[in-house]
Amino acid sequence: MATPIGEESLRKMAARWLPSGQDATPLRIHRDTTDFFRVEYGDIVDLNGRPYLVRHNAKEGRFGLDDEVKYWVKRAIDLTSGEQKIIKLVFQEKFKAHVGGIEFECFRSPRKEARILDLVAGHKHFMHGFSVHDEKQNVVRILDFIYGAPLSKYVENLKSDHKSYFFDIFPRILDQFMECIRAIQFIHNHGEKHGDIRRDHILVDRQNGDYRWIDFDFNYRHRENIYGYDLFGLGNVLVFLVGKGDVLLQNLYQENHPAMKTLREEDRNIVFHHRIVNLKKVYPYIPESLNQILLHFSKGANRFYGTTGELLEDLEALDKP
Amino acid sequence: MTDGNKTFNKNILIAVDDSDNARRAVSYVAQLLGGVSGFKVTVLHVIPEAEEDYFATTAEKEEWLEHYKEKMYAVLEACRQILISAGFAPEAVSVRSPLRYCPSMAECILSERDELEYDTIVLGRQGLSRSEEFLFGSISSKIVTHARNCTVWVVE
Repeated sequence: MATPIGEESLRKMAARWLPSGQDATPLRIHRDTTDFFRVEYGDIVDLNGRPYLVRHNAKEGRFGLDDEVKYWVKRAIDLTSGEQKIIKLVFQEKFKAHVGGIEFECFRSPRKEARILDLVAGHKHFMHGFSVHDEKQNVVRILDFIYGAPLSKYVENLKSDHKSYFFDIFPRILDQFMECIRAIQFIHNHGEKHGDIRRDHILVDRQNGDYRWIDFDFNYRHRENIYGYDLFGLGNVLVFLVGKGDVLLQNLYQENHPAMKTLREEDRNIVFHHRIVNLKKVYPYIPESLNQILLHFSKGANRFYGTTGELLEDLEALDKP
Repeated sequence: MTDGNKTFNKNILIAVDDSDNARRAVSYVAQLLGGVSGFKVTVLHVIPEAEEDYFATTAEKEEWLEHYKEKMYAVLEACRQILISAGFAPEAVSVRSPLRYCPSMAECILSERDELEYDTIVLGRQGLSRSEEFLFGSISSKIVTHARNCTVWVVE
């Protein structure tokens, strides 16, 4: 165990980021992070002798809802290096998730995330970081901050119409996304699930344009196919990317879209029944070979992908649009 | 029994869990073969080694495992009694509950079959919806697809 740094030294190290005139306020220093609600803005988290200044709680938004505060995830400054970090404190959560009316058991596992961080160290399609135990043996993860937007926002913010997007931009996006699938294949090959594959869990790194998976602490209790839920997530992201967003039945209906005449029950997402998967009926220029891949995630699918390798094999065989 | 080349043994493996579907599979074998001599039945439940990540502490994991074992021993004994009541000799019915690391339950069941030489596997259909099968896979479908050198009965 490293020797703790004294309060005065910490105050000097943090002075750059603390409001001036607060010298009289004692610094709150946490070496036990069990109660993460107590770790607040301006506090120091001292992990094995390395101090981090807490800036604020992280937030996560989805589906147009207001951002939800994640009190166990802190944005912080590493006071030794001056770098921005994300600090994930231990939150042992177990709950029943419901996807498309199907209930299954989910949980967060700091140990899983710590293991995957070790596994993917240096891999350009994952976030990076390491884990450290606080004085109560909580597995705290220290993550490098990635500057960049979630892939979902990046795609939704593109101004072009679908056809231009599909022919001019999508091929590059697909190439990068296939790298992301290979990255998931890499962890699957090492017996690990991602656990929470979503389009906002890929960040587009502003520094180099790389797509990078984030958030590995989520897990689900698998049944027969250990990676089935991860594959479902990959399929959803793929359909989203091909469609330049979700293609929703309700929107097509409101627009009186010509595709409404030909769309059938089997063209919908196998789990999220309001989303259209048979996108060729909406965008006829989508090649049949690509559309056939999407249909593996539809209600009408005769065969499901069992592994990332099967999905990749079909994607690699595509002629690029 | 022979097909000219292969002799089939009369050892039957019934793979169960604590569901009604599994009980139906046991009842099916009981009704079909109870009182017929020569058959040996093993009722199997593979106890999946619990995922380390699911538990905050080792003590929590051990407590879960003890509770799970207790529950499944009762299920296996109930299955055994169904078979004996239907006319199987007590010595012809055994139960088995090995603890194994099981990323795939179907593969675990099939490897038990390989070790113990059963020519017939019996299991209940889980009755999954297509969405459920898509998300989580189906044990019975996988066993039907992957089983070699044995017959699989899937009881509806």
